[in-house]
Amino acid sequence: MPFISNILQHRSLSIVGLEKNTGKTVCLNYILRRLNALGVHVGVTSIGVDGEQVDSVFATAKPEVTLYEGTHFITSEQHYLKRQAVSVLEAVDSRRTALGPLVTARVLVRGKALLSGAATTGVLRSQIEQLDSMGVDIAIVDGALSRLSLASPTVTEAMILATGAAVSANVKQLVAKTKFLHNLILLDEVDSALRDRLSVIPSGLWGVDDEGRPHDLGIASVFLIDRASTDLLHYGHTLFASGAVSDRLLRVLAAKGKGITLIARDFTKLFITPEAYVEFTRRGGRLMVLQRSKLLAVTLNPTSPQGFLLDSHSTCEILSEALQTPVYDVMKIEK
Amino acid sequence: MKIKELIKQDAGFQHVVDSMELMSSAGRRKMLDAEFLTDAEKLRDEWCKLEQAIQAVKEFKYKKPYIELRHCLMQLHDLQGTLSNLANHTPLNEVELFEIKNLSQLSQTAKEAIADLGLTAMLPMPDTREVFALLDPDNTGIANFYIYDSYDSRLAPVRRELQALQTSDGDPMRISELLAQQNEIQNEVCVRLSDQLNRWTDLLVTTMEQMAYADYLVAKAELAISWRLTHPETGDHIEYKELTNHRLKERNEKANLRYQPVDVALYDGVTLITGANMAGKTVLLKSVGTAQLMAQCGMYVPASMAVVKLVEGVVSSIGDEQDEMNGLSSYAAEIIKISNILNTCREHNMLVLIDEPARTTNPVEGKALVQAIIKILNSKSSTTLVTTHYSGLGSECRRLRVKGFVEGLADVPLTPQSINRFIDYSLTEDQSDNVPHEALRIAAILNCDSEMITLAQKNVNL
Repeated sequence: MPFISNILQHRSLSIVGLEKNTGKTVCLNYILRRLNALGVHVGVTSIGVDGEQVDSVFATAKPEVTLYEGTHFITSEQHYLKRQAVSVLEAVDSRRTALGPLVTARVLVRGKALLSGAATTGVLRSQIEQLDSMGVDIAIVDGALSRLSLASPTVTEAMILATGAAVSANVKQLVAKTKFLHNLILLDEVDSALRDRLSVIPSGLWGVDDEGRPHDLGIASVFLIDRASTDLLHYGHTLFASGAVSDRLLRVLAAKGKGITLIARDFTKLFITPEAYVEFTRRGGRLMVLQRSKLLAVTLNPTSPQGFLLDSHSTCEILSEALQTPVYDVMKIEK
Repeated sequence: MKIKELIKQDAGFQHVVDSMELMSSAGRRKMLDAEFLTDAEKLRDEWCKLEQAIQAVKEFKYKKPYIELRHCLMQLHDLQGTLSNLANHTPLNEVELFEIKNLSQLSQTAKEAIADLGLTAMLPMPDTREVFALLDPDNTGIANFYIYDSYDSRLAPVRRELQALQTSDGDPMRISELLAQQNEIQNEVCVRLSDQLNRWTDLLVTTMEQMAYADYLVAKAELAISWRLTHPETGDHIEYKELTNHRLKERNEKANLRYQPVDVALYDGVTLITGANMAGKTVLLKSVGTAQLMAQCGMYVPASMAVVKLVEGVVSSIGDEQDEMNGLSSYAAEIIKISNILNTCREHNMLVLIDEPARTTNPVEGKALVQAIIKILNSKSSTTLVTTHYSGLGSECRRLRVKGFVEGLADVPLTPQSINRFIDYSLTEDQSDNVPHEALRIAAILNCDSEMITLAQKNVNL
């Protein structure tokens, strides 16, 4: 029973995929089944609307999630009315999505359902709170296509990363892409005193002096960085970016000097390519985060939507070796 | 006219509406749909309800019934769509039935809170217990909902078999069959319940609207308390003590500037307002307009004493509209507007607010136009307020002058930043036909080009 006992140590969990069709839903179904067997009271929801029964991009079957007796779930009205589980409605939200208002219900007789949710992390947080207030032991969030934001440690405590042949049919590329994101997820955290000081800063780029005091560099958006006339290193070689970190910021910093430490909020704020990151680190640059996500497991879906199949055993091994962490084939653990 | 139309015409009134803290979208809809009332009886009734609500809010501010009522209103959903489905015999789905059940429970909780607040007479809430009972066949007393087994004797056996098969990974074909059966029965139950609920459509609509009205009323009361608004009296003229423009007051407070409320009384016919630039003539016009809208929409007004003469509407020509987009010059746009106002006043009793008419054309014809406008409006029952910089109009009408710039009024150096503190915004009756000449003085205080001012002064002295 891999990684299930780790899950139980957390109040909330997100499952995010590196790509569509990386087996998030298979992974979620596995977790729900194991947690049900352990008698855990689970709450489950999703971010955004990702719930066509048939995947509209590749026309592959999109498996629904099986919900067990006692589970609380949040989905949209339209998906709720199509569910196969027998369930009791407990709340209806006044906010509307494209598929009607979000509803919260408790399962009486197990069955499948499509999950959907709001597209913003703000509402997602309130969805998790809502599940919490229903007394769940853990709230699980099913990720949607290209949305990493839900895996922010400020939204969910722990995460599972799903990767697979859909990312690349070339094993080397698959490993490289997965490893890059994996590295970002595991970036070092700053110490808690510095975190407390920086986490309250709402926006902008800040210089951090030797005593750990932040100073506003007067740059409202890092997207305007190359036009800034300010001396970015006036307060020292440590900087804090409160918002998104882009390639451009990394390149500007790489050009400014050696050995710069750039602190981001968490890995979901890093919108960077491996090339820019390498350029930055070659000049002695170091990326850190205020808060690191707890990565519980990496799962692999060896099948690509085009029907290409990777060798499960060897790919898992190569990935495990590269990431130094166990990688599970979702198709196999499900059986 | 409804509030939603009036806020487009008056930015001050828009600010009033934006400052109301509604707890539900239904309450917000109720507010925007509220009418500009011309019937004195209806208005007094509305003010009287507001008065009682204010007393209740003050008395129970942090106490249980008030907190309970607000909590109910926060959970109120606007069910207009669901209720119109119900009226049209469109079967409701499970989520809609849940919403109806929730409303029927919420309104009963609200009803008790309203009774505790002593507001039952003005906020009667229908009895929805029968609706709740229909949607709660197992007497759980909780506002959860699903198609309960007890609605149809066929449901329990289907669900039992379904559960057994699902738990044991049974035959998928049979599971699909059972799911289809269940859905069919559920749909039948939804249709049946919708039919049964149909006779309570009016009751549910009233419940919904009363809840929405309660939200609007509470928001009005909260605003009246925090802005210290006053219960207006109706009379044959308009009169305010310490009339306040909250939009400007808030802006001034943010900028650390003083705000001075103004006393004003207006009678049938035209009142002419003169005064130097920067003396607040335009603000006065806007404040009078906003206060009239507030009063006749059933709100209290921003003054310490208020008498309101009821009018059929407020019309104004205040020069900050941009009509260039319509291809009209500022003069053309203004004169068309004023002409429309005169037409309206031929048949209706209005409050008319005209800011510096004909100021953008030559002073000879401009003055003649102003005289004509005053003459026409003076003969009507409307109450008109006109500001002007023209002297010697010779018109027979009441004149008020803003006291304006007073040397030594404030104990600070006179600078462009502090000039606001040297202006006395209060009004005084003025018998003379001359307007104050302070344009050059103000330009000098504002550090404008000295050559321009010196030359202009010479020209004046000629």
